[in-house]
Amino acid sequence: MKQNFLFQASNISKYYGQNIGCKNVSLDINPGEVLGIVGESGSGKSTLLNCIYGNLEVDEGDIFLNDKSKTILNFTKISEPKLRLIQRSDLAFVHQNPRDGLRMNISAGGNIGERLMAIGHRNYGEIREIAANWLEKVEIDVNRIDDKPSTFSGGMQQRLQIARNLVTRPRLIFMDEPTGGLDVSVQAKILDLLRNLVRELGIAAVIVTHDLAVVRLLADRIIVMQNGNVIEAGLCDQVLDDPQHKYSQLLVSSVLQV
Amino acid sequence: MNEMSKNENLDIQIYNFAYLDENTKRMIRRALLKALCIPGYQVPFSSREMPMPYGWGTGGIQVTSACLIPKDILKVIDQGADDTTNAVSIRKFFQKTANVAVTEKTSDASLIQTRHRIPETKLKEKQILVYQVPIPEPLRFLEPRETETRKMHALSEYGLMYVKLYEDIAKHGHIETAYAYPIKTNGNYVTDPSPIPKFDNPKMNNSPAIQLFGAGREQRIYAIPPYTNVKSLDFEDYPFEAMKANFKCSICGSSDSYLDEIIVSDDGKRSYICSDTDYCKEQTKLNSKKED
Repeated sequence: MKQNFLFQASNISKYYGQNIGCKNVSLDINPGEVLGIVGESGSGKSTLLNCIYGNLEVDEGDIFLNDKSKTILNFTKISEPKLRLIQRSDLAFVHQNPRDGLRMNISAGGNIGERLMAIGHRNYGEIREIAANWLEKVEIDVNRIDDKPSTFSGGMQQRLQIARNLVTRPRLIFMDEPTGGLDVSVQAKILDLLRNLVRELGIAAVIVTHDLAVVRLLADRIIVMQNGNVIEAGLCDQVLDDPQHKYSQLLVSSVLQV
Repeated sequence: MNEMSKNENLDIQIYNFAYLDENTKRMIRRALLKALCIPGYQVPFSSREMPMPYGWGTGGIQVTSACLIPKDILKVIDQGADDTTNAVSIRKFFQKTANVAVTEKTSDASLIQTRHRIPETKLKEKQILVYQVPIPEPLRFLEPRETETRKMHALSEYGLMYVKLYEDIAKHGHIETAYAYPIKTNGNYVTDPSPIPKFDNPKMNNSPAIQLFGAGREQRIYAIPPYTNVKSLDFEDYPFEAMKANFKCSICGSSDSYLDEIIVSDDGKRSYICSDTDYCKEQTKLNSKKED
């Protein structure tokens, strides 16, 4: 096992009864690296993401995280309180639908502040200042700090969700179709924002998407999935420019050109 | 007269002592013991149908029923008052079914059932205070999933509770929550103090009396044992403040007891009187003694 890895999953399998969620998937992520997971609907992308985030229990395999204090934790072995603490501090999860990741009846400031309060911040002034800073970072007008996310546009909601997740400075962020359901110009803006934040803060990320343009823009490496199996993995440009597997070739060639 | 007492005796024979049957009381006592062992933890119990609707204090009544012994002296208050409908009916209920002595004097009572107030007179050891609780889960309106709130309690994940206070300050400039103000019991479980005004919160801390909470519809019992640390949640820069209307009682003149606001005329003239009727009476007596 390499010593400087951030995150490692080895031989993950998840079954839904007779059906395969994902099978024998291994991946590792280095600090600050962005990994893209692509594949068609039903290929097991989201299952894999939920497994490695710790939301779904895996049937086989191990998941290791090299935490802030350089201790290697095995997700499949640690206790639930510990796992939830890690999920709040070291990890973050951005849902495709911002409604799943935000509290819609709580103000934008409260949404960003929740993770801070969850790890023990008890100073209102401080929490509010940090929340305002983050709104600025994700290009939301600071005047909207007391507005509820339900009054925000889809793109703003997604940016708010990103701010809410990044506020505790996680080291690894999981994103499930972060730009799905948004129109193209808003998508571009969010991708731009994500790219800057990820690079600036040195956060590693796992991005699940069916949109190859997204991984082209953000990812360093990608894995291609089909029917729960990884069929191809490698450097992003390498896989996208010279796909080896039949399915990868199909995937790359079916992108619409304008 | 003779006829009446005969009937009353009959009532007592029809009902078991304090209405509930012995096995039910035993079940409730087990829940109470568990609740006292784990301060602030909500213990499920199999709440019974009571001969009155939910919302009338069926949880408190069941707890009282399980705790009562024949030599108890019972006091029942509703919003601090001994003479309101709810208090009168519950008091009568236990007079009829348990034939216990009743009092309005806080210091004389061995068991006090209360709705929405803690008496102003300081409670003593060997007194039991039974609260009627509508919603025992302090996180209910923040996280609707009971499975999730239970987990949050188990793992002490109370960030969300602070989000509520944060929202208060963001909206109103101060913590607006004035009743059912969340408390942390024994440094562990965040607990709903029932809808008492936050003015009463400090009285819960380190109280010599046993504090029991019963939620009938929600089928939960929890407790704060005597001399337990109870802390109201707050922010470093927005500390908890016990507040009340800044007036004097227009009957007894007390300025340190919790006041009710009463509109006394059609043109909206207001008057403030103690919500604790027993305390108000005591103060009035003291005042007239001083004048003598």
